[in-house]
Amino acid sequence: MTIVDLNKKYDGKKVVNSVSFEIPKGKVLSLIGPNGAGKSTVMGMISRLIAKDSGVIHFEDKDLAKWKSKELAKKLAILTQHNNIQMKLTVRELVAFGRFPYSGNRLTKEDNEMIDKAIAYMELQEYEDCFIDELSGGQRQRAYIAMVIAQDTEYVLLDEPTNNLDIYHASNMMRTVRRLCDELGKTVILVLHEINYAAFYSDYVCALVNGKIAKFGTVEEVINKETLAEIYKVDFEIIYVDGKPLSVFY
Amino acid sequence: MGTLLLIISIWSLFVGVIDIDISALLSSGEGMELKIFLFSRIPRLLAILCTGVGMSVAGLIMQQLCMNKFVSPSTGATIQSAQFGILLSLVFVPGIGLWGRVLLAFGLSILGTWIFVWFVQKIQFKNTVLVPLIGIMFGNVLGGITSFIAYKFEVTQQLSTYFVGSFSLIIKGNYELVWLAVPLVIIAFIFANYFNIVGMGKDFSQNLGVNYKLVLFLGLTIAAMITASVVTIVGQISYIGLIIPNIVALFKGDKIRGTLIDTALLGALFVLGCDVIARSVIMPYELPIELIVGIIGSLLFIAMLIYKLNHGKKAIRLRKAKEGTCCE
Amino acid sequence: MNKKIIILLTLVIGVCAAYLFIHSHPENPKLFRYILSLRIPTLVVMMIAAFSISSASLIFQSIINNRIVTPCLLGMNAMYTLVHTAVIFVVGSGSILATNANLSFTVDLIVMSVVATFVYSFMFEKTGNNVLYVLLIGTVLASFFGSIQSTMIRVMDPNEYDALLTTLVADFNNINVEVIYFSLILLVALTIFLWKDLKLLDVITLGKAQAINLGVDYDRTVRRLLLGVVLCIAVATAMVGPISFLGLIIANLARQLLKTHKHNHLILGSALMGMLAIIAGQFVSQHIFSYAVPISTFITIGGGVYFLYLLLFTKGGI
Repeated sequence: MTIVDLNKKYDGKKVVNSVSFEIPKGKVLSLIGPNGAGKSTVMGMISRLIAKDSGVIHFEDKDLAKWKSKELAKKLAILTQHNNIQMKLTVRELVAFGRFPYSGNRLTKEDNEMIDKAIAYMELQEYEDCFIDELSGGQRQRAYIAMVIAQDTEYVLLDEPTNNLDIYHASNMMRTVRRLCDELGKTVILVLHEINYAAFYSDYVCALVNGKIAKFGTVEEVINKETLAEIYKVDFEIIYVDGKPLSVFY
Repeated sequence: MGTLLLIISIWSLFVGVIDIDISALLSSGEGMELKIFLFSRIPRLLAILCTGVGMSVAGLIMQQLCMNKFVSPSTGATIQSAQFGILLSLVFVPGIGLWGRVLLAFGLSILGTWIFVWFVQKIQFKNTVLVPLIGIMFGNVLGGITSFIAYKFEVTQQLSTYFVGSFSLIIKGNYELVWLAVPLVIIAFIFANYFNIVGMGKDFSQNLGVNYKLVLFLGLTIAAMITASVVTIVGQISYIGLIIPNIVALFKGDKIRGTLIDTALLGALFVLGCDVIARSVIMPYELPIELIVGIIGSLLFIAMLIYKLNHGKKAIRLRKAKEGTCCE
Repeated sequence: MNKKIIILLTLVIGVCAAYLFIHSHPENPKLFRYILSLRIPTLVVMMIAAFSISSASLIFQSIINNRIVTPCLLGMNAMYTLVHTAVIFVVGSGSILATNANLSFTVDLIVMSVVATFVYSFMFEKTGNNVLYVLLIGTVLASFFGSIQSTMIRVMDPNEYDALLTTLVADFNNINVEVIYFSLILLVALTIFLWKDLKLLDVITLGKAQAINLGVDYDRTVRRLLLGVVLCIAVATAMVGPISFLGLIIANLARQLLKTHKHNHLILGSALMGMLAIIAGQFVSQHIFSYAVPISTFITIGGGVYFLYLLLFTKGGI
């Protein structure tokens, strides 16, 4: 997937300013940056949730805008921050929606197998018949990930998946992200607030400031004293844990 | 604004089915013109002024006391309670006369307003918009019950005059009750600072040594009494108490002492303007003023809601010079 | 699930039969036939109205993902009444547009779709889909439409506005049977036209982002469904007049009773419940209270209380 010269304005203010980068296949890519840097907007445009003003997104040698929405749904899945569903749905029913692009409202035997697998992968078997609004935040997030797994797409886009989760659930979530990439071979693109989660769990990092790309590269290329200080305007110390650069700031 | 009001008031005296001009008025000492003038035109003007002043001040008081810009006699079930009181008087004590009817309307409207405010304070809504929504629905339910009972006892026809506000039936001798609004507004002016303090909260007022509950009940009672007297004489007139104080606050801020007079004047001006429109659309007939107020008022209210939603607190804090610095 | 629907269906058939045949004097064939010829069209009208209101409310709730907002609460039925009055106001009561019921209904529908689309999309856009503001503005809009409508009626005829009002606005005791065939055809056509979109409703309920993620052309589907909702409300209002709270009660009861998110079940269930409520209500009002109490009064009181209950006690619902 290649993104070329993406632009977006809100009320005359440029939120995303000629952003271009390439998404490496089969890797985890994190978008980081201060508040209002345009991370979520870029993510929204990649996932066709937000209309872009100009620019092109090439997806599998075809313009993303030319894809049929239903076909795209089999290739690319997005999970946003805000998922408040008013209806009473059980975990299994929610996960079953992941099969909608394939079979509509009628589930085949294969679909049911995929759903079982997705639920098992996220270890949600015992909650299968619970209503999602009765689950804890961490469990609910896992149910949504299970739905994305059932959707069986090559690309998975997650907008701040660790938001509103405590440290335990957040790091579990990040481990799951890693597994999605390593075990299931998916390309995962994340918007993250926590620099250290980005540093520890992703392969590439793209740092945005004021709607522009400040730095794109491997974790080591972006997570270092100089670059971070430039992006966040705060002094950083870098320490290495398990060979990964982690930042300390105060 | 005061001058403008005066000019339009005088002009409105000369708008009517029968043309009257000043020379005719002065020359024919005891003619028809003077009679019309004294028995219909002047009472009508006074009723209009009292209504405008009273309803807008009632709204202002309620908004201050409830700390919510969307509370008013029409969104706080006060009007419907007063109507319910009138219905009770019509059904159960038909011979009670005007004064008895007014007393019942007073009682019920005070009670209804108290219940509503107690309820709103008890629940402590997170969203300010929920309060008027509940008030409107509470009013609807009360209105439903009223029309149900009216239907049952066949007083719908009689009651309808109390429902759609209109000045067409105002003549000397049957409207004087709305004057009650004047002393009530004066009392409100005297106690204005207390209302302001209570509006800032229970703890705040206790800190300043103001009896919170007493002032709250006093204020609500004044507002309810003004509303009830208007409803009994003129009929239902919605939205004035809601929009006029908000428009004034938009420019002048929330200090009651400073805004009360402006609110009263603008309220009178608004009702007067609507009345002139109501009288001139289908001459020689006239429309009930409630319809005109309903159309203009609801549009203004929607505009206000959208403005407030999109500009947030700024809408209410939109003021000159001094406080400009604290925004954002 | 299906069991509940079958029970509902049986009940509906039961009330229909009761409505048609109780006090129908079968011993006197002439009278019997006359009574039936009066009751059958009324029954059909009530069924159509019930179906339109219940399914429109249900679909609308699912689209905007909230259970306390229904199209009637936003003044859509007041808008229809206004459009109808306005058309007659403009063309005059002697014109063919006013005297031919089907023709005037067609004009109403066209005007209504245009105006409603404009007004409500403006409202949703300006409020940023903030449900409470949408509700409050909707409530005020309803009274706004009402004021304009009564003003028009009075301007048309200042002396006899009451008489004019009853001919212009239908209610349960003054059911409009002239447009039965037209409405039936319209509803069938709508169902066929929207069949594909209705199937997407389950996914729409998940919210805009999720629906797009699952490959739904969200904006187009919602626009088509909203048009359907507007037309359904117009049909119901034309036939039995404005009954604001019925849709709210029925749609919520259907969700509570059926406990499912599948819209094919929900729509069918709520339509049946709507029929049950209206026909049984009319039956009771006719035979027990002998028309003394109009059902719309009950609906206003009961619905208002129910609405307050929903506003106050839906946990995290708003």
